[in-house]
Amino acid sequence: MSKPRVAVYKMSSCAGCQLEILNLEPILLDLLGTVELSYFVMARRENEPGPYDIGLVEGAITCGEEIERLKKARQECHLLVALGSCACYGGLPSIKNWQPQRVVESRVYDNLAAIHSTTAYGIDYYVPVDAYLKGCPVSREELLDFIKSTLLGVRPYLRPHSVCVECKLHENVCLFVTDGAICLGPVTTAGCGALCPSRGKPCDGCRGPANDANTVSLAQTMVSYGLHHSDIARYFRKFAGMTPEFSKGAEAV
Amino acid sequence: MSVAYARQAEWGIPQLYLLPAAKLNPFLEELKEYYTVIGPVARGKEFVFAPVAKPEELALSYQTTLLPPKKVLHLPFEVLFSFHEDQQIVETAPEQRPQVIFGIHPCDVRAILILDKAYTAEYPDPYYIAKRRHTLLVALNCAEPGENCFCQSLGTGPDLKEGYDLLLTDLGHGYLIEVGSPWGRELVQTMDLAPAPRVAMVEKQKVLENARRKFHKKLNTQGLPELLEENFRHPIWEELMHDCLACGSCTMVCPTCFCYNVVDKIDLNLKSGKRQREWDSCMLLEYAQVALGHNFRKDRDARVKQRIYHKLVYYEPQFSTLGCVGCGRCIKTCVKKIDITDVISRLRGE
Ligand code: SF4
Ligand code: SF4
Ligand code: SF4
Ligand code: SF4
Repeated sequence: MSKPRVAVYKMSSCAGCQLEILNLEPILLDLLGTVELSYFVMARRENEPGPYDIGLVEGAITCGEEIERLKKARQECHLLVALGSCACYGGLPSIKNWQPQRVVESRVYDNLAAIHSTTAYGIDYYVPVDAYLKGCPVSREELLDFIKSTLLGVRPYLRPHSVCVECKLHENVCLFVTDGAICLGPVTTAGCGALCPSRGKPCDGCRGPANDANTVSLAQTMVSYGLHHSDIARYFRKFAGMTPEFSKGAEAV
Repeated sequence: MSVAYARQAEWGIPQLYLLPAAKLNPFLEELKEYYTVIGPVARGKEFVFAPVAKPEELALSYQTTLLPPKKVLHLPFEVLFSFHEDQQIVETAPEQRPQVIFGIHPCDVRAILILDKAYTAEYPDPYYIAKRRHTLLVALNCAEPGENCFCQSLGTGPDLKEGYDLLLTDLGHGYLIEVGSPWGRELVQTMDLAPAPRVAMVEKQKVLENARRKFHKKLNTQGLPELLEENFRHPIWEELMHDCLACGSCTMVCPTCFCYNVVDKIDLNLKSGKRQREWDSCMLLEYAQVALGHNFRKDRDARVKQRIYHKLVYYEPQFSTLGCVGCGRCIKTCVKKIDITDVISRLRGE
């Protein structure tokens, strides 16, 4: 059997998720024994044309040219995967969506003539998506699990519940109840191994809403901690403000 | 045979010894020769059960720990076996070195007695049993209940009557030791301890009387099943549906919760891997989802109810005891301060 062919596409992003693929270095050779990285501009000089078995799309869609490339990617890949928070639901680029486009653009570019930016969306706004690998950046562990499960034809175990579950499994001191810090862990999807709270930093919600995220209730607690509604909105809009759940949280108070 | 516990039955009247405060550390050093000693140690502003490297680390004046000591018998993550394509299955060899859980509070001992029933009765769990067999419980009566504790209401604290190998009570100048099993007797015999004077029992009662006066929370257990059955539709559940974050923390920290999920971790060669289990929780949306996507407890109020009804109603017919031991961890851990004692008193109209 020939090895499954994998393509990695980059849209609007910092390339951090692609870097995570390269960060698999210690096992990259083993991985390459399993799959063929056929298209990966960041890592290969020569790239092979499609079709591919698995397409990993990094980045949000923020301009017309990307919509076209995304549609082409959808056509040439059997499975299309949103790689990282930007591709899943807009991620960091989506913080611009709450200000007028021109205002945001003029902050970054001197000459706006060639800039045709649109609202930042996750890729499923334009094409059907087969799987979502959340995280900013994506979790290497989860990416590997996903690839292995796909090759075996079984459903990957992607944790749908809150970060608190993993935080508890690691017996962290809860930053929320013990230190009085605002932590988005209770409403954010696990799978990162509670990376931030395990290092004493509250969860920023980079993995987006957990499967039953009660953001309205969390926003009310934030108010009782003395947060202004604009701060609460910023918390929820930092990574996943375009999701219905986090947008509800941002607007709850 | 159930692990809980033939050794209790053979043993009648407790024997009393006195461990002077100055002898505690030598006692621990002695224990460490033969056992892995697991006790409360500080982690930031909180406490956790962890292997005690030096006796000075032991923080016996702790009130509660983040996770209950259940975690050393039923591990948060546990590899059950590894497997290979050609059908080979290699079981994880159980740890042979016996362990002592030192300074475990009465509520947590009672919780382990419940787990003993859950894991050894109908479907004996070899992984739990293997560890339980090698585990001694050196319990410590509570002198200072924490602000969320309500074990007194459930008869699971602040003192302990069964289930221990040794039971300590801090009398200030030293520890009264009560022997609860032949194993416990062996432990004290190695230590050349003086028998306790009779007055030590009086001192113990004083310590406990004092502790009993310090509880802030209570849960009235009178007619609990009826109360809950009558109030299956009560406005409070809707309120909790809006409040609860469905984060699952309350069940993750509960000493009597015993659910787990099983996951396969496949190696990159796609031919071998390991099967592992980890704690799961009925508070999580995916828990009650079945094939084709139907979910029996889709709404949060249904899950909050399940947690509370399971603890306070459904355990009884199965295990002849309530499923809550009043440790207060679920209250402490909840970002929304959802409080099982408060729910009950509100259902009573108090
Ligand atoms: S620190 Fe954050 S993620 Fe961890 S348990 Fe507390 S609220 Fe949840
Ligand atoms: S803890 Fe939160 S912010 Fe940190 S990696 Fe996990 S989901 Fe992202
Ligand atoms: S800890 Fe509190 S908020 Fe989280 S699931 Fe339990 S009751 Fe709900
Ligand atoms: S329900 Fe709450 S108080 Fe009762 S045993 Fe569990 S964690 Fe402790």
